[in-house]
Amino acid sequence: MKYVFALAVAAVTLWSFYVPDAVGFQHPELARIFFWHFPCPILASVLLIAGGWFSWKYTKTNDLVWDVRAVAMMELGYLFCLMTMATGIMFSQVQWGAWWQNDPRQTSFLMVLLIYAAYFGLRGAIHDENRRASNSGVYALAALLPVLFLIFVFPRLPQIQSFHPSDSIMKGQIKGGYAYVVISVLVLVSWLTAWLYRIRVRTGLLELKLEDRNNGSRLETNSGDPAGSTVVRPVRVPRES
Amino acid sequence: MTKGWRAILRKEIRSEMRQRSGLITTVLFSVFTVITISFATFDLEISPQLGAGLLCVAMLFAAIVALPRAVLIEEEQGTGDLLRLVAKAEDVYWGKAIYNLLFMAITSLVLTVLFLGFTRTGVAIPWLFVACIAGSCAAYAGTVTLCGALVAQASNRNALAGVLSVPLLLPLSFLAVSGLRVALDLRGGFNVGNGAIAGVGLLCYGAASLVIGPYLFAAVWKR
Repeated sequence: MKYVFALAVAAVTLWSFYVPDAVGFQHPELARIFFWHFPCPILASVLLIAGGWFSWKYTKTNDLVWDVRAVAMMELGYLFCLMTMATGIMFSQVQWGAWWQNDPRQTSFLMVLLIYAAYFGLRGAIHDENRRASNSGVYALAALLPVLFLIFVFPRLPQIQSFHPSDSIMKGQIKGGYAYVVISVLVLVSWLTAWLYRIRVRTGLLELKLEDRNNGSRLETNSGDPAGSTVVRPVRVPRES
Repeated sequence: MTKGWRAILRKEIRSEMRQRSGLITTVLFSVFTVITISFATFDLEISPQLGAGLLCVAMLFAAIVALPRAVLIEEEQGTGDLLRLVAKAEDVYWGKAIYNLLFMAITSLVLTVLFLGFTRTGVAIPWLFVACIAGSCAAYAGTVTLCGALVAQASNRNALAGVLSVPLLLPLSFLAVSGLRVALDLRGGFNVGNGAIAGVGLLCYGAASLVIGPYLFAAVWKR
């Protein structure tokens, strides 16, 4: 399967160099980074919303398996946010003449990145696994409102002027060979994401099993605070007669 | 929402009246912020856009300094477990969020009066100005109360409360700047319709933050 995937990526990459140049760009031949830039924010949005959904499932069931799934989604979503920023910054330098344009979409995605950086910061600060799962899950749910606002509402507000077109697909401006390459890259990157997600969940579940096994030999500590005092449960000692 | 929230609110107000440290600290923070702004811009005419941005940043940081304290203090004083035993999570949230809302309203009042006075900025559309400030206060109260509960038992909790709250409140700052720049624009250069959309958006954002809060707060408070 890995070889099929590698061949498909190579074929699509080659194909992307053979489709005609897009019109309306300063350097049309260099606008091909769009093929790899376009799927990243779409997948990042889907993964972050799915992460919120899994977090909600955790808060309902208290089953750590949902937390493992939520973290896998969040980590992959964060990775795609970073890739969106990286490819977008390159595109900005080549086509618009500066690495950072203060474009509202660039800025709003940077804020999404900060929100999820805070999510991982929160997870790092809580050491009890159940508390970490519940608190970070609630934060992921609370973050959904601003994230949806930043991705879908803010760039479309009437007072916002952006370099990013928001209706290229609706108006059918991406068509022919260009559209087929865009769809192919989207499918391939989604395939890669599903694959990475499965590996990450499997690793997370193994970590959980390992922790369960180690719990037998571990002292129970005051939840959450690594500096907190160690709590030892009282045990009944039989009197010597 | 049951009547328990009133007891929590009374407890918070009495506790604040006894010490007054939170209010004094926040008012002093507001005074220092406005004096710093006025010192840094003494030879400049502050445009509506810049004025709106400075006011929003000052309010945001005042909220982050002051509001998480309402929840964090329970863990610091060791009263959190008692509160968990005697009160419902929903009541605790509403009591603390409404206290934070009142606290933020007083802070905003002090901050805006000082800001308008020191920077000699006028208000062109008072209702829009009040709507933007009220919407911001509601969203700050709802979001920071929740973030306080999230970090209450984490390590380095004071700094972490700010780290969690700021990204959640940044979209709100966009709306606040969009609304306030229209409200502060005496020359009428900005579109009033866009400002009204931002003001209504802020009020909705504030209401949504307060309404979603109890459900999320309940998921972390009793653990």
